Amino acid sequence: MFALVAVVAARSAGAHGAPPDGADPDSPVPEPAPQVPDDPTVDPGAPGAGAALDDPGEPDEPLHEDTEFGPVIQIEAINVTGNTATQTEIIRRALPIGPGDTLHSSDRRLRDARFKVLALGYFRDVTLSVRKGSQRGQVIVEVHVAERGTLVLNRLWFGTALSPWWLGADVGERNLLGLGVSVGGGVIFAHHTDLPDARDQYAMELRISVPSVGGSEWSAGGAATLVHGSEPYRVSGMSQRSFPYRRFGARFGATYDVSALTRLAMGMRVESISATLPVAPTRELADGRVVAVDLHLDPGVSRVVTASLAFDRDTRADPILPHAGGRLQVSAELGSALLGGNYDFATIFGRYEHYWPLFGERHALSIKLGGGVVVGDAPLFDRIHIADVDHMLTPRALGLVLSTAAPLAILGTRGDKPNYGDLGGSATVEYALQLFRGAGQRRIYGADVFFGAGLWGLAERPDLRSRDAGLVAALPIDLFGDAGVRFDTDIGTFELTIANALGRLR
Amino acid sequence: MRRAVTALAVLAALVIPTATAHADDDKPEIQRMRFVESGAQLTFSTDPTTVPPGGIGKLFDTTAYEALSTGIPSTVVIRIQIAPRDSDTPVAEQLIQRSVVYDVWDEIYTLRLDQPGGRKTIKVKYRAEALKWLTALDDVPVARLDVVPIDQVFVLKMVVELNPVSKQTLTEVRRWLSQGNGGGLDRGGAFFGSFVSVFYNPKIADADRVLRIRSQPFYRPAP
Repeated sequence: MFALVAVVAARSAGAHGAPPDGADPDSPVPEPAPQVPDDPTVDPGAPGAGAALDDPGEPDEPLHEDTEFGPVIQIEAINVTGNTATQTEIIRRALPIGPGDTLHSSDRRLRDARFKVLALGYFRDVTLSVRKGSQRGQVIVEVHVAERGTLVLNRLWFGTALSPWWLGADVGERNLLGLGVSVGGGVIFAHHTDLPDARDQYAMELRISVPSVGGSEWSAGGAATLVHGSEPYRVSGMSQRSFPYRRFGARFGATYDVSALTRLAMGMRVESISATLPVAPTRELADGRVVAVDLHLDPGVSRVVTASLAFDRDTRADPILPHAGGRLQVSAELGSALLGGNYDFATIFGRYEHYWPLFGERHALSIKLGGGVVVGDAPLFDRIHIADVDHMLTPRALGLVLSTAAPLAILGTRGDKPNYGDLGGSATVEYALQLFRGAGQRRIYGADVFFGAGLWGLAERPDLRSRDAGLVAALPIDLFGDAGVRFDTDIGTFELTIANALGRLR
Repeated sequence: MRRAVTALAVLAALVIPTATAHADDDKPEIQRMRFVESGAQLTFSTDPTTVPPGGIGKLFDTTAYEALSTGIPSTVVIRIQIAPRDSDTPVAEQLIQRSVVYDVWDEIYTLRLDQPGGRKTIKVKYRAEALKWLTALDDVPVARLDVVPIDQVFVLKMVVELNPVSKQTLTEVRRWLSQGNGGGLDRGGAFFGSFVSVFYNPKIADADRVLRIRSQPFYRPAP
């Protein structure tokens, strides 16, 4: 055996000639290594070997995986402590083990139990331990939880644009009275714009959901929303007017967790719309022609009744600062007179995003595709709004249109892009660069800076059927760009972007 | 527009120094190690007698040490690379996994060691001995000599994790963050919106503790 010394050690020792360039000339010769045997079960000189017990051999058949070892135990009971608000039964239901289960003490389910409880989202820490039960081989599993605050500020709305200002918030409690029931709600107020017939707008929403019904993979929830709005519509060029409307509706549904990463959802929506529509609204086109405007609403009171189905698969390891994995969301909604509504229509919306890690996951390249199609006589509010697809505009909040700012014309395509469309979407390419990642002990867990650009488009059906200009000029598409910073912190998640700022200030 | 750009510039000025400070978290600790040619293998050993002590013992703080006796398994995963000093491309890699579980009835520690040379299962009586077996890095084979040319300078890089958590588990634990609010009439936001969300947000780390260690440069001298 030849000693392969550290470069510096070789020089100090004068052995084997000069070291290659870059060697540290001041390092001492290393001490002889402690002797660890190749086979620690037989070498008495190994650390701890003197106390090593004879290996009686593994159980004949592994119960769950071939890496299991250790004694076979039977769970006699599970004790839960530390929960002052959360019901014990909710914690028990989350555990992958239960009284009577027989398993190796290294079983994966024991290792995963902590994370299954943490995944409830109600605890800041969970510790497990095992102690002797009443008979040999039986054990009692102790689960100790440390509860956390479960009040959530979901969204903040504020800004100033053509509507002088708007302000609102959406808050929730994820563990109401420790029952594992999630409740929440939002309120927003928007001061009226200067458009003719505009009025102050407000909207409010209440939600309740049970994330796991009876400990099953099913969850159920419902929401009620009231919108007192003022909807702008274009009368000529960029000139707009408003008409008042009121929406009151409820949505209820259920979801089923097909797997930890895949979820199916189904729901119903019942909504009443009361709109005071202008008489025979018209719009003057750039060439002087005056055409009728379809506001896609029945005058007076009308009803929307729909059934919906949705699919969601999310494989991103980190949903806040994703650098790998992807997410697919698809939803379809059908409204029909057969269900009791006044509108016969269908919508299909989808979103797909995928992240490719680069340079050891310190960077990530992603694509994000989102969009949908509306078929039939859909009410105005179920159509795709321009702010849904152009990220540089103020997004709708609780159904309210907050800004009438026109999109930036970057490509020079048609200037009078519609506010609502039947077919729309966006495609984004984004590059994210990891600013830092913490180990979970600092208050800021991580941050990314990102740069993105993309294409958005929004078309009404007539746009697709006929056009009186060249293809490029007639296409209702344009570019958008964005850049900003995302933070994941112990007080929440934040995204600060140029597009977001533009949406609040234009 | 100008206000937005100004706001972003201010933000960048605040973020970049913070990022630089946090980046220090990933800097590896330099440890003096002993490298030995053993047959056709290159082996290495850490030295806990140096100041500060070498090795991976600091992976276990008091809490982690006491957790060895809870009856819940603990696992140490050691990823080792030998790479040229000025390169990130390894010439050899090694994975070592060591697990221990306490038998509350027989009051012994069963260890499973998966490392070069195969899998070993041993049992020890005392927790301190279990810790030794989990953390000892003595004459560990890391590379065949033929991939470590004579007179070229290499370093050993090592990442050691205590109870690493799989990406799938991390995904499950944080899934509730992306499950939305239950959905009212505000359909657009769910598909297109950006987020600002404030809540108590405990982070589940990738592992209970991670050590990043790098050896001093070394080379194989010509015989």
